[in-house]
Amino acid sequence: MLWFAGIDIGSVNTKVALFRDGGPPHFHMIQSGANYRAAAEKALDEALGKAGLSRNDIVAIMATGSGTPRVDFGTDQLSDISCSARGVHSFFPGVRTVIDVGGQASRAIRVNDEGKVINFAVSERCAAGSGRFLQIIARVLQIDIKDAGTLSLKSSNPVIYTTGCAVFGESEAISRVAEGTPKEDILAGVQNAIASKIANLIDRVGMEKDCAMVGGGALDIGLVKRTEERLGITLLVPENPQLMAAFGAALYASHPQ
Amino acid sequence: MAEEKKKRAITRLESSALVRPLVNKMYMEGTLAGMEERPVAWSMVNWWEGDIIMRAMGVTPVYPENYGTVCAALGIAQKYMGVSVAEGFPTHLCGYAQNTIGYTTEMKREGKVPEGAPMGGMAQPTFMLSSEGYCDARFKWFQSLRQFWNVPVWTLPFPHPAYTDTSLQDVHKVNVEYMAVELQGFIAFLENLLKKKLDRDKLETMLDNQEKVLKVWWEINELRKAKPCPMHARDFWTMMVPCYYLAYDPETLTVYQQVYNEVKARVDNGIGAIPDEKYRLIFAELPPWHSLGFFDKLAERGWNFATESIGYHPPPPMELNGGSDLLYRIARWTYWQYINTRYRAAKMGYPAVGAAQPFYNWAVEYKIDGILTHPLVTCRTATFWLTHWMNVLRDKLDIPGMSIQGDIVDLTVFDAATALNQAPAFEESMDHFRKVRKSKGLDW
Repeated sequence: MLWFAGIDIGSVNTKVALFRDGGPPHFHMIQSGANYRAAAEKALDEALGKAGLSRNDIVAIMATGSGTPRVDFGTDQLSDISCSARGVHSFFPGVRTVIDVGGQASRAIRVNDEGKVINFAVSERCAAGSGRFLQIIARVLQIDIKDAGTLSLKSSNPVIYTTGCAVFGESEAISRVAEGTPKEDILAGVQNAIASKIANLIDRVGMEKDCAMVGGGALDIGLVKRTEERLGITLLVPENPQLMAAFGAALYASHPQ
Repeated sequence: MAEEKKKRAITRLESSALVRPLVNKMYMEGTLAGMEERPVAWSMVNWWEGDIIMRAMGVTPVYPENYGTVCAALGIAQKYMGVSVAEGFPTHLCGYAQNTIGYTTEMKREGKVPEGAPMGGMAQPTFMLSSEGYCDARFKWFQSLRQFWNVPVWTLPFPHPAYTDTSLQDVHKVNVEYMAVELQGFIAFLENLLKKKLDRDKLETMLDNQEKVLKVWWEINELRKAKPCPMHARDFWTMMVPCYYLAYDPETLTVYQQVYNEVKARVDNGIGAIPDEKYRLIFAELPPWHSLGFFDKLAERGWNFATESIGYHPPPPMELNGGSDLLYRIARWTYWQYINTRYRAAKMGYPAVGAAQPFYNWAVEYKIDGILTHPLVTCRTATFWLTHWMNVLRDKLDIPGMSIQGDIVDLTVFDAATALNQAPAFEESMDHFRKVRKSKGLDW
């Protein structure tokens, strides 16, 4: 059986998808750390081990993500924008707009009926537009990022952030903690701030339904909810939203077009 | 054995090498004028409005904006920007201004051209010539520099008519007349400062040469409409310098004629600036001077930049009337530089799209597949139109756009890796819109 691998080396996590025609994919994810190449090697080997495979079983490897330039063992490399679009399309063929909230940036991607990119917009080089902002604030609040979404849904009075900068946002969150503001309101405020930036990106590329949210940010149900409220639509979220780019990369490795 | 040098993807014009000696000469003249205590002006790019008048009066201009690009390209700008910040100037000021303020601070501190200043540095000014053209920083910056240099600052007028007014001949007449009267005032200022009279015959000879230079440079850029595009934006950015600073010089005309011949030969023989032109793009606005090698990476992917930066393209042949008086001729060219694309749009039946007009015209005529914009952190003027330009091309012509954040001087902002990562996705987008355009009956 021919297997194909997609490796998405993100700024926070490195994700691997193993794929073969006619079978379910295998996924694996580890933290990227400071050495992208080592993370990619480790993630691939661990994924192969979990699936009972070896590198000899892999026909082609497609690398994607911000750490791609550090990977020299892949068969080919491709933009994570293209890979996210392809991955989402395979799960939701009716999707025409993809919101990808990653650790380094957020992206709004318009796709056609083949899962190819029509247009895209990427957030500025600022953590305030990415999932990193949520991590920063979760750390300030001393809560696990996995719990942030659920906790934020309890908010009744979200904080309105007065800055569009993650560094100043962190300072502002610390001030709010000192004032006794509930954690859920601080988190909900961050989610609203990110949702606002996502909406700006959507304005730039235009919205066409269906719309899906992927990337690590889509694991935060609070962010999904507030983005839905901001856009006035229901978002589709796949089961493993953070793995879509890796899966799309594996699909590109198997069927380049 | 020495490793074989990797061939670059962009085939630069051989004649572009002829420009470097001209630029070197320009800087050498500035240095010599300073050493010989002849009058030196620190001057903004003024679109031919004041340069030849100064030259005809024996003043040697040096150009801090251009010097900023030199410092950026050689990696010196970070140092000068750091000095500017240490002096209390904010980091969001114009990058060229920060570079010049840092340079000037060092110059005052050392009492001479700062140690390590590239190209012999900029000599101390006798006066400074600013321009109202395009952005406020270009006169506020020189006013600020008066805290270092106790010399006069003269500001050249540059009317910015509303887009809807540019078809009105009366508006042109009034604006050109205003500029010509102001130029008379500039001459009076120089004559008083230098204690000498303007040689009008010399000025006319320089103006004649300048008009020939503009014509050839315009014709060169017209040749870039050919497929494949024979001249990449990198050659444009190298070669635009003499057009803006040395248009009076017969040597510039000779060099441009050689450039024209080479580009024409490429067109006649179907030779492109890159080996396999897959996509033709516009680059907007000024490039990352410190990272121009980035364009070779894109050229390897088949991206050919056929046109670019609006403020720096030569105007087409003059279509404004107004007599042969020297000052009116000078004023008309500067004014024409600002409004000519709207005349072009009217003539060709293109829709009026405001500030995006140059890019609309070029996108149609150069058969453009995409626009790559370069928002400049320290340049408001070159940045706040970019989204509008992208939207107009997308909505009116189905041409997609992509942005890479950066700066003209501050190399810490530019992220080539991220941009290159996005390139394949943008190619998908350009492929998609190519099909859309053809489905709508457009021919590219």
